[in-house]
Amino acid sequence: MRFDWSVIWDNLGRLAEGAELTVFLAMVTMALAIPGGLLLAFLRLSRFRLVRGAATAFVEFFRATPLILQIYWVYYVLPVFSDILFPPIATALIGLVCNISSFNSETFRAGILSIRQGQWNAGLALGMSRGQVMLRIVLPQAAMRVLPSLASTWVSLFKDTSLVSVIAVADLSYVALQLRAQTYRILEVLTAMAVIYWLMGYPQAKLVDWLHRRYKVVE
Amino acid sequence: MLTDFSWLVDRWPFLLRALWTTLYVSTLSLLLGFVIGILVGSLRSYGGRVLDLVLGFYVDSVRAIPPLALLVWTFFAFPILIGHSLGSITAGVLALGVHLGAYMAETIRAGLTSVRPGQMRAALALGMTKFAAVRTIILPQALIRMLPPLGSLFVIAVKDSAIASAIAVPELMRQSQVVAGQTYRGPIIFTTAMVVYFLINYPIARGIDRLYRRVAHLGAS
Repeated sequence: MRFDWSVIWDNLGRLAEGAELTVFLAMVTMALAIPGGLLLAFLRLSRFRLVRGAATAFVEFFRATPLILQIYWVYYVLPVFSDILFPPIATALIGLVCNISSFNSETFRAGILSIRQGQWNAGLALGMSRGQVMLRIVLPQAAMRVLPSLASTWVSLFKDTSLVSVIAVADLSYVALQLRAQTYRILEVLTAMAVIYWLMGYPQAKLVDWLHRRYKVVE
Repeated sequence: MLTDFSWLVDRWPFLLRALWTTLYVSTLSLLLGFVIGILVGSLRSYGGRVLDLVLGFYVDSVRAIPPLALLVWTFFAFPILIGHSLGSITAGVLALGVHLGAYMAETIRAGLTSVRPGQMRAALALGMTKFAAVRTIILPQALIRMLPPLGSLFVIAVKDSAIASAIAVPELMRQSQVVAGQTYRGPIIFTTAMVVYFLINYPIARGIDRLYRRVAHLGAS
């Protein structure tokens, strides 16, 4: 068996571009899925049953179905309902944001509910409105508590972005799979793909462990 | 057009088989993951510092590498290394099992370490071996406490089996693509597939929740 690793060094530029898109996708998705998750969490805590029900259905549906299928679904079904043809990268982002928002909403909901009722009562007794209590008292405290879970979601999101390759978005896995087909250096290219993901993801996983230790809730 | 289901008439056995493959692949990968998880989880908890470091490296690496990368590597690259080709289902189960195993290991380790150390000391003082203490005293309590995260892992196993479509495992996602390609009915087929996945996963998630509420007291000490 002879391995020819030069294929990796020769195509490092392309792989780096793919990795860049992977990072970009993860960052944009998280940037949109934090407000998205907050919105869903508020809707699930709404006083109106219908709103609650709709938000719950959305969250449960996106949490119980495979992301790869969601991306496919957006790719195939969105054009049926709209005349606008989205570029694949927008399609991928829509799928990712819906999915991660649903997971984030559970995190935020748990964070908000973990703040003791007494804090609400105290805020209301001081004459604050419910919105003010939420914004000034509950959310700032909840933010610290959800940080570790949010970070864990980030790490899995980073891996999940690889699934956009199925609709030809040129992220790291798409580039690597293309390279494999073009060069036939299967073992080298696929090993490099795994190693590059590892190099990017491993420090993040370690950082998340540290966050979990640092911001552990002690009551 | 949406009400025309003639395409389904001769294709439903094909899709039903795909559904079985999905369940088969997720169950086998869960079993493999559970075996890996029990081994790695207990060795990390009781095996000393060196084992903890080595196995911790495996767990954290899996947390960093996407299942898709593991799947394509196991199916396309691993056979070159061992000089023996692997079937897509074998490769799929192997890769998904190794992936799940890391998460299982973390879950099991968290469960094991949640049982108070006094119980282990009591068992050892009674003359039990460490292995017997873990097997008969610590693990049964830990398993019950682990139910909720284990339930999420069941759901994750079913969801991740869809990624095996990338290496042509004939499961539901893959075969939906095939039928969509033959019939040009992508929207309805993928919607149906979504609903089917939901109908598998949602009852699992809720069922485990309910089961846990019923047995939680057995894990309390």
